[in-house]
Amino acid sequence: MIRALGIAGALVAIAAGAMLLAGANPIMGFYALFEGALGGKSQIAETLVQTTSLLFPSLAVAFAFRAGLFNIGAEGQLIIGGLLAGLIGARLDAPGFIAIPILLIAGAAGGALWSSIAGLLRARFGGSEVIATLMLNIVAALLANYLVVGPLHSPGAAGPETAELPHGSWLPTLLPGTRLSLALPIALVLALVLRYLFDRTVFGYELRAAGSAPEAARRAGINLAKTAFIAMALSGAMAGLGGATIVTGVLHRFNVSLSPGYGFIAIAVALVGDLDPLKIIIASFAFGILQSGALTMQALAQVPKDVVSFVEGLAILALAARRFVAERLRVQPAE
Amino acid sequence: MSGLQDFVMLTLVKAAPLIFAALAGVICERAGILNIALEGQLTVGAFTAVAVSFATGSPLLGLLAGVLAGALVGMLLGVAATRFGVDQIVAGTGINLLAVGGAAFGLTVVFGQPGASSEVPALGSTGENVLIAFAFVAALLLHVALYKTPWGLRTRASGENPRAVRSAGVDPRTVRLIATALGGALAGLGGVYLSLGELDLYSDGMTAGRGFIALAAVIFGRWTPFGATGAALGFGALAALQFVLQRTGVPSELMQALPYLAALAALTGIAGRARAPQSDGVPYTE
Repeated sequence: MIRALGIAGALVAIAAGAMLLAGANPIMGFYALFEGALGGKSQIAETLVQTTSLLFPSLAVAFAFRAGLFNIGAEGQLIIGGLLAGLIGARLDAPGFIAIPILLIAGAAGGALWSSIAGLLRARFGGSEVIATLMLNIVAALLANYLVVGPLHSPGAAGPETAELPHGSWLPTLLPGTRLSLALPIALVLALVLRYLFDRTVFGYELRAAGSAPEAARRAGINLAKTAFIAMALSGAMAGLGGATIVTGVLHRFNVSLSPGYGFIAIAVALVGDLDPLKIIIASFAFGILQSGALTMQALAQVPKDVVSFVEGLAILALAARRFVAERLRVQPAE
Repeated sequence: MSGLQDFVMLTLVKAAPLIFAALAGVICERAGILNIALEGQLTVGAFTAVAVSFATGSPLLGLLAGVLAGALVGMLLGVAATRFGVDQIVAGTGINLLAVGGAAFGLTVVFGQPGASSEVPALGSTGENVLIAFAFVAALLLHVALYKTPWGLRTRASGENPRAVRSAGVDPRTVRLIATALGGALAGLGGVYLSLGELDLYSDGMTAGRGFIALAAVIFGRWTPFGATGAALGFGALAALQFVLQRTGVPSELMQALPYLAALAALTGIAGRARAPQSDGVPYTE
């Protein structure tokens, strides 16, 4: 806990230094960041929207991590999930209680399909899921751009996007006048389900065994290839579901730039949250503050918003090194 | 005939940065470090070169600074992975975020505007041609270094069987750290080529995923300098072909996706057995 606070303090200091470098007043900068993220009802709602959009891919990344897999492709799975939800949603005119489940399931299926390509390469050919998911991220973005601009272009779409979904297909709003939708409770329930799955089910146990001690798991009769494939597919489904909630709950259409890199920031969120679904909820909120406050910070305090991704990158490095430092502090090497 | 000449030239122009980055990937992976932060090294190299050329008025100093900055970013990965036990993939992802955010931030600090820098003194077409030629020289040098020198033997052994390297009295972690520095320098040079060679400015997103195409080239080229260079040339030709096919209705996205699809296909072993070094991406601990 103290060490985590130490890292947080160091990151704040670095961010403050960066703000000074940009000729801005750090106190103003942080004030604007929090004002923009938490300064009122609509700001808090927007922060929760960002929290939600981060929570899905973060749970996806953590789920794969637990099974010993690197899903660097949450970004691509999120895009494909959103793409399917948008393409179907723009063409589907049905009552909400039919349309919304269809679109969410389509999103999850799209994400699962996309990650399964990597899962299949890993399970069947032993190919690195890291490389596969990295490549699939870019292919996803290109495919989405091609489809919505080209053959599946919907009339009434201006840029690289689909037409707007009919109102009936929008996820119900939690707070009138904001973009905060039912997606948040869905994400929270998903986190709780995952927590239960990890701690209380045989499948969760097998996943963790395959991830932490693959050789022992194999000897105990767990089919590693099959476990890897299923874990990868489910991980993709979560990211794809997240993409679908952005389409049905936030933008109400698919746009190729629907994600400012949620799938990558998710890796930081999953690490900050120690791969524990409940802690990941809190971590998503913290990163949600950064995402939603960044623009206000840029506008009010003239701090370039990119300082946020800079700090997020540092956070990944610092947090990943933390375990090592912790081990060193606890166990003195024998040499 | 001049059409063919143009096509070859365009292929070389598009391939050069990929060759630098792919060679960087080869060095690192042969030493056992899976460097998915090539994109970040390209970005930082490209930005630093422009910033220093802007500040000093000397594109040559810019070039040196870009190479140095790339090496430092490479070493950040190396130090994180070999000294702090940070997972290589996690560190690489963090460095990519850090680099892209840092360059965008630096752009506002140095040039006072987001998006793109102003035009700065650049290397010109002579400089560009020298860099293109050097890409091939670098491939040759790396081939000789990897296969004919004790350094190369240590590097390759660190990627295959680091314990054996340790038994021979050399610390594989140091070998890997040196590989990430050299790789970072090469990728940084690739970035310099993009900003000061091909153009005379830096703009956000100008590396456009070349760091990932380079990773694909490494796999397709089976982790050898010549193989990776050949793959990078092929991918450069695809990029050049895009200009030719622009008006023929072949979707440009398909052409852009081909390198990545090729890498995915290579992972299935469809083009013969593509085997990564035994300990590629595997941390070495004592």
